[in-house]
Amino acid sequence: MKKNWVRKFMGGLSLTSVMFVFQACYGTPQDFGMDVFVEGQVKSVTTGLPIQGVKVSVPDQLQYEFTNEEGFFSFYTILDVSIALKIQDVDSTLNGLFIDKDIVVSNVNAEDRVYLNIELQEK
Amino acid sequence: MIQAFKKRVFRKFKKAATKTHELNYLFWECTTRCNLNCRHCGSDCTKDSTFKDMPLEDFLLALDTIENPAPNFTVVLTGGEPLLRHDIELCGREIRKRGMKWSMVSNGHFYDKEKHISLLNAGLGALTISLDGLENSHNWLRNSKTSFAKVENAIGLAVTSSRINFDIVSCINKRNLFELDLIFDFLVNLGVKAWRLFTIIPIGRAKENQELFLSDKELKALLDFISRKRKEKKIDIKFSCEGYVGEYESKVRDSYFFCRAGINIGSILIDGSIMACPNIDRSFSQGNIYKDSFYDVWQSKYQVFRDRSWTKIGKCASCKEYEDCQGNGLHYWHGEKKNPLVCHKEKIENAQG
Repeated sequence: MKKNWVRKFMGGLSLTSVMFVFQACYGTPQDFGMDVFVEGQVKSVTTGLPIQGVKVSVPDQLQYEFTNEEGFFSFYTILDVSIALKIQDVDSTLNGLFIDKDIVVSNVNAEDRVYLNIELQEK
Repeated sequence: MIQAFKKRVFRKFKKAATKTHELNYLFWECTTRCNLNCRHCGSDCTKDSTFKDMPLEDFLLALDTIENPAPNFTVVLTGGEPLLRHDIELCGREIRKRGMKWSMVSNGHFYDKEKHISLLNAGLGALTISLDGLENSHNWLRNSKTSFAKVENAIGLAVTSSRINFDIVSCINKRNLFELDLIFDFLVNLGVKAWRLFTIIPIGRAKENQELFLSDKELKALLDFISRKRKEKKIDIKFSCEGYVGEYESKVRDSYFFCRAGINIGSILIDGSIMACPNIDRSFSQGNIYKDSFYDVWQSKYQVFRDRSWTKIGKCASCKEYEDCQGNGLHYWHGEKKNPLVCHKEKIENAQG
């Protein structure tokens, strides 16, 4: 939806502006940079230790990452007024059993770097 | 009247843009390895390239010479097939760390669900995938029986992301010219929003196969198709910026022809050569990142790209539209550089009789 809006906006600009929206013959279209960098660490509320293998995903987008052995994750995702994330323990008993969590980050701006400390309750 | 005014304004803009030569677009030929052996390959890429992939650190040293990169500055990973590199996500993340954007041109073979997600995570912002026809004609050009199915899968993934500015490029030849309407419908049904059409340059292994090149009338038919389909507004279809197309200029693109090679577009090739677009004759090399500072070269050299008056020779010398064309795309200048390999305007005029 947002991308269509951007296309229409670019298409509707004056000749002068359109001149700056170019692509090289064999290159890609321009990236309008509509994303934000999200990173963080997932820990256990009980032990305070990092949790590996937790799935951090963006609902409605085919996008996710699993936390590493230090509980860290990081990715760029599409910019919106707020960013919703799903934090899910998907590896059964491996790395412990934790209750899933939904997070919403508000007031996000383009080129922001969002850092999240996330704690999960054990089941 | 309005067109004439727009053309005049655009000429002035070209002069100003050439003078400032802001670097907006940097190709990185990060590998010359390729999993395919396409009939039209202009770079003669092979599965067993003689060049090793350029180490990321070498490229980053060159990238870090760029002072105050333009806000829309983008690094375009190209090849060969960039997805053959196992560190492609790391490459992307390092570019983004520097506040720059990155994008990629791919044949789509390795673009599966996992790769799509890992590339998005690494901040991929734009993507071009090649599709050269319906199944038979695409697989013929790509010299692969499985290519079409893989590309179709890759397109299906790319269109799901509202983050990626994504388009399809197609190289039009004698085999796929007559299925353009079907390809159009196929892409619309897949949800593709943008489609760029090319002709094939007679370089590399392409020059051995006449079936790859459009006749004058076939080129005109291609441009008529694009012009007609643009009016339907179902998809952002355009002729590539490969060359000046005379009276079709305002009908087949958003903007007039402007070969920005060396003006807004630079490249770092596999051997470290500092160039403009990667498909330009390598005799135009301006330096090498292993000896020179990339940005010093960008700022102080590239005269051959920024003053095109040397192209006013051969058939271009007497052309009335030279000012708008300026020797066509620079990738058409090879060998002794006495004439461009192709003059689109001439081909169109020939077709019109």
